[in-house]
Amino acid sequence: MTDLDERAVTRPAMRIIGTDVPRKEDDRLLRGAGQFVDDVNRAHVVEMAVGRCPYPHARIRSIDVQAARELDGVYDILTGADIAERSEPIGILRPVPGAPVITHYALAQDTATYEGQPVVSVAARTRHIAEDAVELIAIDYEPLPHISDVDAALAPGATVIQPDALEDNLLVCNPQGRGDVEARLAEADVVVEGRFVVNRVTGLPMETRGVLAEWQPGARMLTARVSTQSPQLVRKQLAECLRLDEGHVRVVASDVGGGFGLKLGAYPEDVLAGLHAMTLRRPVKYVEDRLEHFRATTHARESVHVYRIGARADGRIVGMTDAYVNDLGGLNSPFGSSQLSTVVFNGPYKVEDGFVERRIAVTNKTPIGAYRGYGQPEVNFAYERLMDTLARRLDLDPVELRAMNMVQPEDFPWVNPVGAIYDSGDYEACLRMAADAVDYQARRAAGRGPAPDGRYRGVGFSSYVERTGYASSKFLAARGSLFGAHESVTIRANRSGGIDLYSGVSSIGQGSETVFAQMLSEVVGISYDAITLHHGDTGNSPLNTGAFASRTVIAAAGALLEAGDRFLAKTLRIAARKLEVDPAQLELVGTVVRMRADHGVSVSLAEVFTGAILGQGMPDGESPGLDETAYFEPPEAAYSFGTAAATVSVDAETGEFTIEKLVMVHDCGTPLNPKLVEGQVRGGLTQGLGQALGEELRYDPESGQLVNGTMLDYFVPTAADLPPIELGHTEVASPVTTFGVRGAGEVGCIPVAAAVANAICDALAEFGVELDRLPITPELVWRALEAGRAG
Amino acid sequence: MVVTVVVNGTRVTETIPTRLSVTDFLRHRLGLTGTHVGCEQGVCGMCTVVLDGEAVKSCLMYAAQLDGHEVETVESLGDGDALSPLQQAFKSEHGLQCGFCTPAFLMTATALARGGEPLTREEIREELAGVLCRCTGYEFIVNAVERHLGARPGAADD
Ligand code: FES
Ligand code: FES
Repeated sequence: MTDLDERAVTRPAMRIIGTDVPRKEDDRLLRGAGQFVDDVNRAHVVEMAVGRCPYPHARIRSIDVQAARELDGVYDILTGADIAERSEPIGILRPVPGAPVITHYALAQDTATYEGQPVVSVAARTRHIAEDAVELIAIDYEPLPHISDVDAALAPGATVIQPDALEDNLLVCNPQGRGDVEARLAEADVVVEGRFVVNRVTGLPMETRGVLAEWQPGARMLTARVSTQSPQLVRKQLAECLRLDEGHVRVVASDVGGGFGLKLGAYPEDVLAGLHAMTLRRPVKYVEDRLEHFRATTHARESVHVYRIGARADGRIVGMTDAYVNDLGGLNSPFGSSQLSTVVFNGPYKVEDGFVERRIAVTNKTPIGAYRGYGQPEVNFAYERLMDTLARRLDLDPVELRAMNMVQPEDFPWVNPVGAIYDSGDYEACLRMAADAVDYQARRAAGRGPAPDGRYRGVGFSSYVERTGYASSKFLAARGSLFGAHESVTIRANRSGGIDLYSGVSSIGQGSETVFAQMLSEVVGISYDAITLHHGDTGNSPLNTGAFASRTVIAAAGALLEAGDRFLAKTLRIAARKLEVDPAQLELVGTVVRMRADHGVSVSLAEVFTGAILGQGMPDGESPGLDETAYFEPPEAAYSFGTAAATVSVDAETGEFTIEKLVMVHDCGTPLNPKLVEGQVRGGLTQGLGQALGEELRYDPESGQLVNGTMLDYFVPTAADLPPIELGHTEVASPVTTFGVRGAGEVGCIPVAAAVANAICDALAEFGVELDRLPITPELVWRALEAGRAG
Repeated sequence: MVVTVVVNGTRVTETIPTRLSVTDFLRHRLGLTGTHVGCEQGVCGMCTVVLDGEAVKSCLMYAAQLDGHEVETVESLGDGDALSPLQQAFKSEHGLQCGFCTPAFLMTATALARGGEPLTREEIREELAGVLCRCTGYEFIVNAVERHLGARPGAADD
């Protein structure tokens, strides 16, 4: 074990952490030499196509595969019956506390509960042939009554969608809170209430999902290349589903073309490809097309929040409640619906008495799963819209109302009404910076009413906290989650004098290869260029959790620090033998170990590492090799925070509006690589804008069909759609994490919609406009204007 | 049928089925997997390549239409291990995250640079709007292209 004091002397303060080193990932990606699933091919590969239920809810009366089997080039066909016989159901990784388990297999059994659910699967010489074969399979469906919204799902007498597991369509109701909130609201001078509808959207990574499965008989070894954020979790699930020992499954995720939460856990197609490969003893490839992606990859966000805030006349909040319903879709996907709306339901506001209740409803839609921020953008839209309503009701400045209620630096650690421990921060500082960035005082002084160009201008704010990382594995265990809060690394010396760094995290664009190398370089002192990353391969990585919930860096930092410290200490001991000095006199800098006092006395890392690998350079009593593995779990989650501000101009006749400027001031603690942080925040903001302004998966209530499930019909922001965006940040190091980091990957998504909505409502305050649903289209604004004028 | 086409400066002649798209031709026949597929509908732009100097969406074309033409893909950029100035601009400006869209932006920018027209930042945004990126929020991509076209300070450092 390394002595901490010695470490402090050995290591100069922060050389590479906090700098914008170029990314390790870039060179291969810029050459088009990334290894996304479909870029990898194998001799004798077979391609797979999946037949999907065309109805939102249907009984499968019979399946006739005869004609398809006879098609030239068709090698294998799987139906629901084969699946039930040859595989286990796909397990849930993040169960909902108190909820019954809805069992689902890779192919629908007697009943399909959403449009796009896999029903049959074909492996054939080419994808074209496999698709033709799917067309030839005759399936007799009996369409059943379908439900496409949560109110209908929870109405008395509604058709029960999952009768084997549930008596009605309520999966579970989870209430949580502290204090006597109803009493507080009864005493309050004012109580505002709103019902907020959050749209169903999709993360839409540019690379669709894919899998290449290879089976080695005899060894009974399945190797699956999967486009996933969590190779180790997929390995666990595939082993379970396919009845294999975990040692016989290897999952590899080389380059992943975006994840955003959608690529978590095993999907049915991963299991199907594995089964076909085991039968055919040939590699099987499946790459989802975009039309399938819209129906078969998890959707996100859809929920309805009924929120109440009670306050005194001076603006002090006395209680908050949120009752919300999540739309689960037709079954519980491995990650299912999020609890994070509950965890941060009070946002950055210091509320002693608060109560929140989550209900989850089953409907006949594509299952819901994780998506960037996962529960937090949804609830932020509710409480931040309502904060503005409260300000107007009390005739208070919305910025001052927020500031007066925020948790203040001296309050930390602060425990919110559901037990979340906010670690540290200066929430008000971000708010003030955002206000300055939009010249708030000048705008306020200018007064209301139309500008000379006839347009109405407004400014809106949204402040948030985000839980990044997980509180602990114990916390996860209490909720039944089948993954831990930790990350892990293995670092190993090589004979070139470099370090091989192994991590189970897959590279989904977040830049972890770069940031991991930065941290290791910081800890050990070895040059950044001498570190080679090996990632996302369960065949060589220590067991880990995966790239999600802005958690990887937070947890991996601790593992790197621990492994790096041990590695450095041993390196110095080996070098000390060679140089015949005391280890305390040495330091590792770049590619050499040298005397602190006399830099001319040195030995190269190549020599030290070779000595260790051969075992011939070791001090007495020291074991050969130079190889350290460490696991780390942070003691608590670290809460990111910030404020977004938007300025808009609106045409009060048509509802057409323009975002003139969008500002985001955020705090992610110590930024390890500021440019990467900015990239993450901008990317998140753009997805948040998409959700705010246009993205929405629409279902036709009559047919229950997804009506805009193509790239042509689903709005995604392009380079030309973005308003001017300005970023700012504060830097309060988190006391609960290594290097003081907080997550930064998801914050951009959280506050945008509320900031834009608040700005529009501010501009149109004299018309009594209140926006309570997403996306905010000109039509929605126009309707709100009409409603305001009428009422 | 048989097509003869110059791909990244090399003449190739291949026998192909009529329903083969240019994207599949490049990826699966020639192993040029840098050209990606995101929608096969002409919307996402992942499959963008340069055809006779113009950026086109290769998923909307049949390989048969290439006969007698010249195609450039992302694999043509750079010289051995050295990145081209355009690629270097993307790296310096952090113009990529997952990198799935990157070849398409590089080829769009390659065609833009050939045009030789000075472009404003707004015009660059419009020109790039045919390719989607779900990771970056575009700002740094626009910076990279602007830098490459010479309008952004820093171009000299590359
Ligand atoms: S693959 Fe989307 S435009 Fe060609
Ligand atoms: S970098 Fe991921 S889609 Fe553009």
